[in-house]
Amino acid sequence: MTTATEETQLDPRSPLVRLAKFFDNGEFVTITPIDDSGVLSAVGTARGVHCVAFCTDPTVQGGAMGSVGCRAIVTAYDRALADSAPIVGIWHSGGARLREGVASLDGVGRTFLSMTQASGKVPQISIVLGPAAGGAAYGPALTDIVVLGPAGRIFVTGPEVVRSVTGEDVDMDRLGGPEPHGRRSGVVHITTDSEDDAIETGIKLVKLLGHQGSLDLNSVDDRDLGALLPESSRRAYDVHPLVEAFVDLDSFVELHTKWSPNIVVGLGRLGGRTVGVVANNPLRLGGCLDSSSAEKASRFVRMCDAFGVPLVVLVDVPGYLPGLGQEWEGVVRRGAKLLHAFAECVTPRVTVVTRKAYGGAFVAMNSSSLGATKVIAWPNAEVAVMGSVAAIRILHRRRLADVPEDSREQVELELAAEHEVISGGIKRAVDLGVVDCVVDPKLTRRAVAEVLLETPGARGAHGNIPL
Amino acid sequence: MHVVAEMVASVHSFEAAIGDQVSPGDTLLILESMKMEIPVLAEHVGVVSEFAVAIGDVVNEGDLLVILL
Repeated sequence: MTTATEETQLDPRSPLVRLAKFFDNGEFVTITPIDDSGVLSAVGTARGVHCVAFCTDPTVQGGAMGSVGCRAIVTAYDRALADSAPIVGIWHSGGARLREGVASLDGVGRTFLSMTQASGKVPQISIVLGPAAGGAAYGPALTDIVVLGPAGRIFVTGPEVVRSVTGEDVDMDRLGGPEPHGRRSGVVHITTDSEDDAIETGIKLVKLLGHQGSLDLNSVDDRDLGALLPESSRRAYDVHPLVEAFVDLDSFVELHTKWSPNIVVGLGRLGGRTVGVVANNPLRLGGCLDSSSAEKASRFVRMCDAFGVPLVVLVDVPGYLPGLGQEWEGVVRRGAKLLHAFAECVTPRVTVVTRKAYGGAFVAMNSSSLGATKVIAWPNAEVAVMGSVAAIRILHRRRLADVPEDSREQVELELAAEHEVISGGIKRAVDLGVVDCVVDPKLTRRAVAEVLLETPGARGAHGNIPL
Repeated sequence: MHVVAEMVASVHSFEAAIGDQVSPGDTLLILESMKMEIPVLAEHVGVVSEFAVAIGDVVNEGDLLVILL
């Protein structure tokens, strides 16, 4: 047993120090030798959850990975699989060891094999505290969730190589810091303000995925979630307060906060049980689905399914974002991932339509046609092929053309109301069976919790490819 | 600081005036797209120095809306 007292004189970047910060009371048992291999692996508990962690050693050759160090990572993975325990990688490494040549590349490739074989079987969390280049970049990228410390920089090739090969003058921040990976690339799930915060976030995720808890209906209090919507049904709003009010107090950990912010995904607890939340955010792009948000949500859905985390899908979506840019970015191919992710998902998944769900986006957001466990709607919700005004403009194009301009709006509203009675309206959706029931916003938490309680848990038998 | 449009939209209304001091989260103007009224919020502290658009204008993704100083 190694304890925190031993490493008072150590370099703060030493694996012994960083592992001590990660494990409860600074206590852990090493499962690989403390040597100059560049990696140290250990087992212990993090907030009471038994888990395995490995840590690269930047005090030896900049944390570069040689064949022995890579074997230490493989050892950690073997142990995690044997124990069915979450595994955490703490990264600060320049990549493969140059002086070992191809042997180090072979070692790095073997770590990728271990990570992929463990994918979907045990939760894998990466905490990147310093530069993580080349092989050390792809290691975290293969895992379920990547947390970036303030000094974390992830890139395939560093600034010097970029400069010598392409002449492009960039620094590490722009290549692989919090801004590019938090906002643009989607490589990083969570950016943090301090090294301690990064480690703390890693521990929180281990707890959420490794100790999912059981749902206690008595602790699910009623909250007036409807009060969090704006009065005008046309007005966009930030969905975060709604998500945070839906889950247990202060339990929500959002992933990919700044990347594709038109959809919100994250883990939280409902009545003490871990749940995954997917929610459209009308404040950004009107809450439309687009190619990158569909991809972001599909990866999250598949991760939750792999670990048996039930899903709650809060729907307020006007449709898929139209336009040339989206088509060329592959909104069809990437949007299909979300259809696939939900359709294959076996973990309980409940949809709550809060305001509107139109067209193809309605299907994609865990509709009953894709096998949702239950679809709940709030009383004023609208489920339709498109908004009623847009629909009547197409259906009654000729008739509307004859209406004088000054009274057209009035006629449109009347036709829309009429159309809603015939085709839209939540009652019709219930009659058709695409919505299972209408629930008071105040009772939504309880209604979802009851569905989760009466549905047997299950987890998908698949990996979590970083889509 | 240049505030640009996130998507194709038309300019619905202004919620701030030139010279206003704004903080992160304050609404600058409202765009209309996909039948939704979508607020454009300030991301930084600043003073509204110029609106680059007028009500009813159609803007494309990346078009300048407001300059904050």
